[in-house]
This record gives sequence, structure tokens and C-alpha cells, in this order.
Amino acid sequence: MKSFNMPVGPLHVSLEEPMYFRIDVEGEKVAGLEITAGHVHRGIEYLTAKRNIYQNLALIERVCSLCSNSHPEAYCMALETIAGIEVPERAQYLRVFADEIKRVASHMFNVAILAHVVGFESLFMHVMEAREIMQDTKETVFGNRMDLAANIIGGVKYDIDAAQSAYIISQLDRLEPLLLNEIIPVYETNATIQSRTRGIGRITREHCIEYGLMGPVARGAGHGYDVRTAAPYAVYDRMDVEVITYPDGDVWSRAMVRLKEVAASIRLLRQCLRDLPDGATDAGPLPFIPAGEAVTKVEAPRGELVYYVNTDGTDIPARVKWRVPSYMNWDVLHLMMVGEGISDIPLIVNSIDPCISCTER
Amino acid sequence: MIKDTLWTLLAVVVFPGGLFAMALGLALKGVERRAIARLQRRVGPPLVQPFYDLVKLMRKRTLIPDTANRFVFLTVPLIGLAAMGVAAAMIPIPGFYQPSPLLGDLIVLFYLVSVPAVALMLAGSASGSPYGAIGFSREMAIVLAYEGPILLSLVAVALHAGAAMGQPIALNLSDIVNYQQQHGAFLFDPWLLPAFLTYLSFIPANLGIAPFDIPEAEAEVLEGPLVEYSGPPLGLLKLTSAIKSVVVIGLGVALFFPNGPDGIAGLVVFALKCVVMVLAGALLKAAVGRMRIDQAVLFYLKWPELLGVAGLVLVAARL
Repeated sequence: MKSFNMPVGPLHVSLEEPMYFRIDVEGEKVAGLEITAGHVHRGIEYLTAKRNIYQNLALIERVCSLCSNSHPEAYCMALETIAGIEVPERAQYLRVFADEIKRVASHMFNVAILAHVVGFESLFMHVMEAREIMQDTKETVFGNRMDLAANIIGGVKYDIDAAQSAYIISQLDRLEPLLLNEIIPVYETNATIQSRTRGIGRITREHCIEYGLMGPVARGAGHGYDVRTAAPYAVYDRMDVEVITYPDGDVWSRAMVRLKEVAASIRLLRQCLRDLPDGATDAGPLPFIPAGEAVTKVEAPRGELVYYVNTDGTDIPARVKWRVPSYMNWDVLHLMMVGEGISDIPLIVNSIDPCISCTER
Repeated sequence: MIKDTLWTLLAVVVFPGGLFAMALGLALKGVERRAIARLQRRVGPPLVQPFYDLVKLMRKRTLIPDTANRFVFLTVPLIGLAAMGVAAAMIPIPGFYQPSPLLGDLIVLFYLVSVPAVALMLAGSASGSPYGAIGFSREMAIVLAYEGPILLSLVAVALHAGAAMGQPIALNLSDIVNYQQQHGAFLFDPWLLPAFLTYLSFIPANLGIAPFDIPEAEAEVLEGPLVEYSGPPLGLLKLTSAIKSVVVIGLGVALFFPNGPDGIAGLVVFALKCVVMVLAGALLKAAVGRMRIDQAVLFYLKWPELLGVAGLVLVAARL
């Protein structure tokens, strides 16, 4: 059969961000692919060495929109470790709250795009409409739909009072039945979704370990690694974190992991509001941040996010370096795509939920 | 003779082919878009949006990629449109319009209905884009899958109508329509039910309605054969698909349910039948996702093919 070369990207309707694949196609099957990165490189790591610690907080929040809470959270945790700042308990709970609310919105966005890619526009609209409940909640609590600006060094910048808490619970009460009674059953039983996503882009648990895969991609293949339980930060050690795994390692399993994690995150949000202790939301006047270095990691919606911060005693950090889960996850595309049909390319790319702007920063 | 020719030309260019079919087709597209939007809890575009889109495309510049075969790239949309104009003139509007026998019979119509698909394949391969090439191969696969069942369905109706009228086979659409208007629609004839279902299953594949909108899948192959088109040629391709929906639905109406009042009311009833079919298509489109090409081909080779054969056997058994 004649083989030819097909470019996918850098701009392609079903890719949310610029990513460029050169795909060798034989008939309707993928024979090989080459991933070209670097289309949204903005030099953010370099810029962090030109700005002071507080300016960097605003900068790092803007690395990526869907994980825009995880980046500043990890960065603040690193600086708190270096300076030995004690974060008040209430602030720790509020950090978990911001983390989980972003996870809900991020995962729901991804599964909605899956429906769009298989041409199921009604489901796409339905999931996005359900997600809109969460977007409204974020806008009400944080004043923003995407960049929450929740974290500051030593705590958080926002607070939840009784009225807000009641509002959030009412919003969760609206979202939860939609998710449990409509969206999850549709993904579990709908014939189109099943026939298009099951058995596509398969990887095994061994591949997860070999490639160092993270997040829902690994958990969808039965590798139950989650920073929230493996190395709890903030108050995750006191939360009932469920690690959801599916054994099959296909596109469908990854989508199901995300959907079940949304349900788990909603339970965590409720737990946060219930257990929220009184007290300060930040550490007050901050001490001088000495020279030092720290490594922290958090569970971003896409998996483990590692931050390394090195300070030299000035207010400008000597080095800020981070490793995002998509960096490992997109390498496994080589494995997932070969032998699959070209109609499954966007589906497989979407299933690893690549965050290009995090990875290329 | 000259008068006949002129009337036929008028039928192809103005009514019911040409301008009328364009207007009706675009209006049906508008209805479809609005209906889908409402099913998805969106507001949706105004009903005249397809007309706006067409006007916009007609006023834009045409870009021809360096890799394209210029001549084929530009002529193919015209061929598709011309074929559909003639085909639309061959569709009787029960009680209002009878096509001239000069235009041809059911066999010619069957071939004309396939022309836009062939035009789309040529367009895809002439554009020199890999997406166009994939669109080409997908379009070909799905055409090969649905041509069989639709032919079986047409032959079943023609044989049945022919037997009823004392001919070996009825290939004149006007005769089939007249017979049904006097003796009741074939839609309610249980012997023709498989043929009717086969025809129904052919409509979404031919019109590119989900789950069979595979050749032009936007999220997968960037609209496949259309990817390199812009401006007026793209407008003509969109227009062709609009007329095609009138032709394919109109043919179904003529074959299975042409009954209705005479005169201008017949025209209105015909348009209403088209709207009902389009709404059904919108419901289908909103309810399912897209199949993979292998799944769709397998589906057509299995169920509609089986139904088509069953329909033909049922009709033949009664001869």
C-alpha cells in the first residue's frame, strides 16, 4: 500500500494547542510519527530569573490556563520550604479547594473535547454546559474563570465565608447529579463513544513505568500513582483521596478515570468546606527568603508537577525549573498511535490531555 | 421541439432545478442548523444564515494551492453543481410539476445523484493535499458501500410499480408518482417496507449526516476534500450539497410518499415533507457521534444491503 506523509498541526481544529506531528500514513493506518515541539515557547523559565519572587507568582500563574493553580501552588510551596514559612491550616484547606475546583474544570473540558472529536456535538455541549456550573463558581469565589490567583507565598489570597460556602454547596448539588446520572452513564454506555474509544491507543502498566507516565494516562492503564496519596502536600493526608484506576489503558479508560476523578474531586470539595478550620489565610508578614533550594511536587490535573526553586538571597530567584507531566506523556504517543487509524489520531492526542503551553513554556 | 427544449432548460436553470432547488436546499440547511442548535440548547444561527454564508463565499478570493491541478480543481465544483441542477429538474413535485421525459429516467437520475460524490473525490485528489487524499479514499469507500443498497431499493420500487401498471419495469418517475396518487403511497405498502428502510438508511450517508459524515469530518481530516477550497468554488461545493439534499429527499418523496394536494398547495406539502426529513436528520445528527470509516462501510454492507436484498426478493416474489 502506498504510504504518504500527513502533517497534523501546528494548527488543527481538534488540537487545542499548537502541536505538530508528521505522520507516516499507510492507507488509513498510522505507520510512524514524528513530534515537533516548540510552537508556544515563550521563554518563561528565563523570564523567572529576571523578575522578583512576587512578580514571578503572577508570571507562573500564566504558564498555562488549565493547570494555572498547580504551578503557583508548587512554586509557593518551594519558597515556603526554603524560608521555613508555616502555612496556616485554613490556607492549606483553601489551597486544596482551589486545586480540586481546577481539576473538575480541567477534566470535564478534556472529556467534552473527546465527544467533540468523535463528532458527538450534543454531548460536547452538554458536558461543557455542566462544566459551566464550575466556571461560574470559580468566577464567584475567585473573581476569575481560569486564573484563580489563589496562592501567595505563605497562604492564599482568598477566603470563603458562610454565604459563599452555601453557594458553592448549592452549585455542587447542581453539578453532581448531572455528572453521576447523565454524563458518566453516557460515557459508559453510549454506542458511539464505546465503539470509537475502546481498545484505541492501548498501553500497559509496564509502559507507564518505562516511560514514567503520570496522571490519568498512567491511572487509566492501572498504574495508581497519585502525588496526593504518594507524597501528600497541603492537607491531602487528612482528605479521603480516592485513586481511581482502570486496567485497560485505552482512550476510554483515560476518559473514565477523568470522569470518576471529577466525582471524587466534588467529594473532596465538600469535605474541604465541611472541615474548613477557622484561622488566618496567610502567614502574615513574611521573613526574608534566604539562599537555598527546594523541590516540591503537586498533582496537577494532568499528573505530577515538579518544581525546583533555587534562591541566592536576593529577591530574584537564581533558577526556577519545573517538569510537567505532559513532557513524559506525549512521548508515549509514538507507542499509542502506530497501527491505529488516522481518524483516531486526534482522539489519542486528546486522551493524553497534553498541555503544550506548560511543556514548552 | 424548440419549445420543449426551452421549457426543459428553464426547468434545469430556474424551477425546480437551479434557482428554486438552491433556495430550498439552503433554506433546509438553515432549518437543520437551527434545529440542531435547539437540540443542543444553543440559540443557533438565523434561518437565512446559509444564504449569508454563500454570499460571503461568492465575494471572496479564490486561492489555488501550488500543488493542485488547476483545471480539475476549478471545474469539478461546476460539474457537481450542473449534475445536481439537472437532477433537481428530474424530481417531480407531486401535483405541481412533472419532469419532461427529455431529461431522462430513473437510471439517469441514479447516476446523476452519484456525480457530486465523484466530484468531491476528484476535488479531494486535485487539491494535492494529504487531507484531500484521505477524504477521497473515505468518500470512495462510503460511496461503494451505499450504492449497492440504494440501487436495490430503486429497482425494487421500479419493479413493483411496473408490475402494478402492467409493464415489466417502471423507470419513469412521473408514472410512479401518478400511480401512487391514484392507488395509495408505497410507504404504506408492507411489501415495500424493506426498500423504504433501505432508502432511509442511504440518506444520511449521501448527505453526510452523522454518524456517516466521515469523508468531510472536520475534527479528523479538516473537511477532507474541501480543505483547500476557498471563495466561489467552495461556495459552489456547498451549494451542490444543498441541492443534493433536495434531490435525495425529493426522490424519496417521489418514490414512497408523493401524495398531496394539487397546485401551489402541492409545492408547499412537498417542502413540508422535505422539512420533516431534515428535522429527522437533525435529530439523528444530534443523537450520535461519528463512526470510523471501517465501521460505516461494514454497517452498510451488512444492514442496508441485507434490507435491500430482502426488499427486492419480496417484490420479485410477488411478480
